[in-house]
Amino acid sequence: MKLVGGEGKTVEVLLVEDSPGDVRLTREAFRDADVSIRLHVASDGVEAMAFLRREGDHVHAPRPDLILLDLNLPRMDGREVLALVKEDASLKTIPTVILTTSDAEADILKSYELQANAFLSKPVQLDAFESLVHSIKDFWLTRVKLPQSRDG
Amino acid sequence: MKAPPRNRGGDESEASEARYRGLLEAAPDAMVVVDQTGAIVLLNVQAENQFGYHRDELLGQQVTNIIPKGFAERLIADDLRSAEDALAQQIGTGIELTAVRKDGTEFPIEIMLSPLDSPEGILVTAAIRDISVRKDAEEALLQTVEELNRSNEELGQFAYIASHDLQEPLRMVASYTQLLSRRYKGRLDADADEFIAYAVDGASRMQRLIEDLLSFSRVGTTGEPLRSTSSEVALQQALSNLHVVVADSGALVTHDPLPTVLADETQLVQLFQNLVGNAIKYQAQGVPQVHVSAAENADETWTFSVKDNGLGIDPEYFERIFGMFERLHRRDEFAGTGIGLAISKKIVERHGGKISVESQPGEGSTFHFALAGAPK
Repeated sequence: MKLVGGEGKTVEVLLVEDSPGDVRLTREAFRDADVSIRLHVASDGVEAMAFLRREGDHVHAPRPDLILLDLNLPRMDGREVLALVKEDASLKTIPTVILTTSDAEADILKSYELQANAFLSKPVQLDAFESLVHSIKDFWLTRVKLPQSRDG
Repeated sequence: MKAPPRNRGGDESEASEARYRGLLEAAPDAMVVVDQTGAIVLLNVQAENQFGYHRDELLGQQVTNIIPKGFAERLIADDLRSAEDALAQQIGTGIELTAVRKDGTEFPIEIMLSPLDSPEGILVTAAIRDISVRKDAEEALLQTVEELNRSNEELGQFAYIASHDLQEPLRMVASYTQLLSRRYKGRLDADADEFIAYAVDGASRMQRLIEDLLSFSRVGTTGEPLRSTSSEVALQQALSNLHVVVADSGALVTHDPLPTVLADETQLVQLFQNLVGNAIKYQAQGVPQVHVSAAENADETWTFSVKDNGLGIDPEYFERIFGMFERLHRRDEFAGTGIGLAISKKIVERHGGKISVESQPGEGSTFHFALAGAPK
């Protein structure tokens, strides 16, 4: 077992998000973290899968400690990414949190059916968004214990 | 071919038949007299015109030639009833059927039947009215209502989708202007601070507008069926949602015992929240006092009243305040989008009731709305 953000280790987060504005907001909100976070960004589902499978430009990609996944993405949407991650034996232990503007009942249900670890709606207000990112950091990157990944 | 009765009767029946024929010709509707075998024995000129036949072509023919279904069957005796009983069951009621003209075209009719005693037994007089115009009008009305419903629904969907999708880019504008203001306030110049402040204010007002628009359109699209609901519990929930406002203003909110009504609870909570919230908000100075009561009406509905000691409203504005985006105050006096009462009105109307206000400037206001009581 390991504590995700323990002992000066860099925490790797994969943000799958197609809106540059949202990427930057998330980056800003993570900025004053007391754990050292490296935010990797994939702007669509295809790129996200390439990152996770270390294909193409991503051969040296680290295994993320957390995936933040938007649902509506070009090329391959978040639901497909979620399904692929959760049916892949080596990826399915990575906590995958849906972070989306949708609050539709159908999206929430579908996400949990596909084994999402949590479903979060992006709040409209900046303050609320920042505090949401802080709680993600506090819970998923600081408090939770996860199994040691096979590839370290 | 069966001969018409005039060739068979004596002088006396010929005289009465002549009188009857006179009556038939004077009737505004097509009239056809049929015997118990379903054969036409008499008809008027309106019937000739309506069906496109010459009189001689119809006399003695079966009535099924002009009214294929639904007429003859109604007159014929069967195991269960005599011809008289069969007819008696139909008398005086309008029956809608389809008739056929000589050229084969069909048209909708309404027929009224009445019995006629004759030496040959009971005959049936049918008054036949062409109801094409009425049917067309009904059909057109139905189509118009359907189209109206569809376009209303589309409009509702459009409003919802538009406001939902507008939220996205707006979230960017609002977030980044707020970020600008937070990081750069006092680091640019006074003009920049002022400009940024207006941008932040504009963006957050637009966000409130869109949120209110969304909740307005949700009243129609996401309403629950009406159930027995305790209006007292709904009021308590509304007050708990308003607790910050109530505490900040020091408002005294009281209520009588409130009934169980037929309502969508979420919407009833929102209704109380809007009305009590307004009652506290539109206040000059002093302690806002709000009282909620309900009185039962003779028709088993309840009229609720939300009474305040606030600014009051000029009767001139009674209609306008329930309209969309209507506001009576400058933004620096009272913030708001002008949608709250429009939402309230929509909620009450969805419940089949009406909302109204009683007020005088300086005398406080009382908002009334009626809801159906829960079945006992």
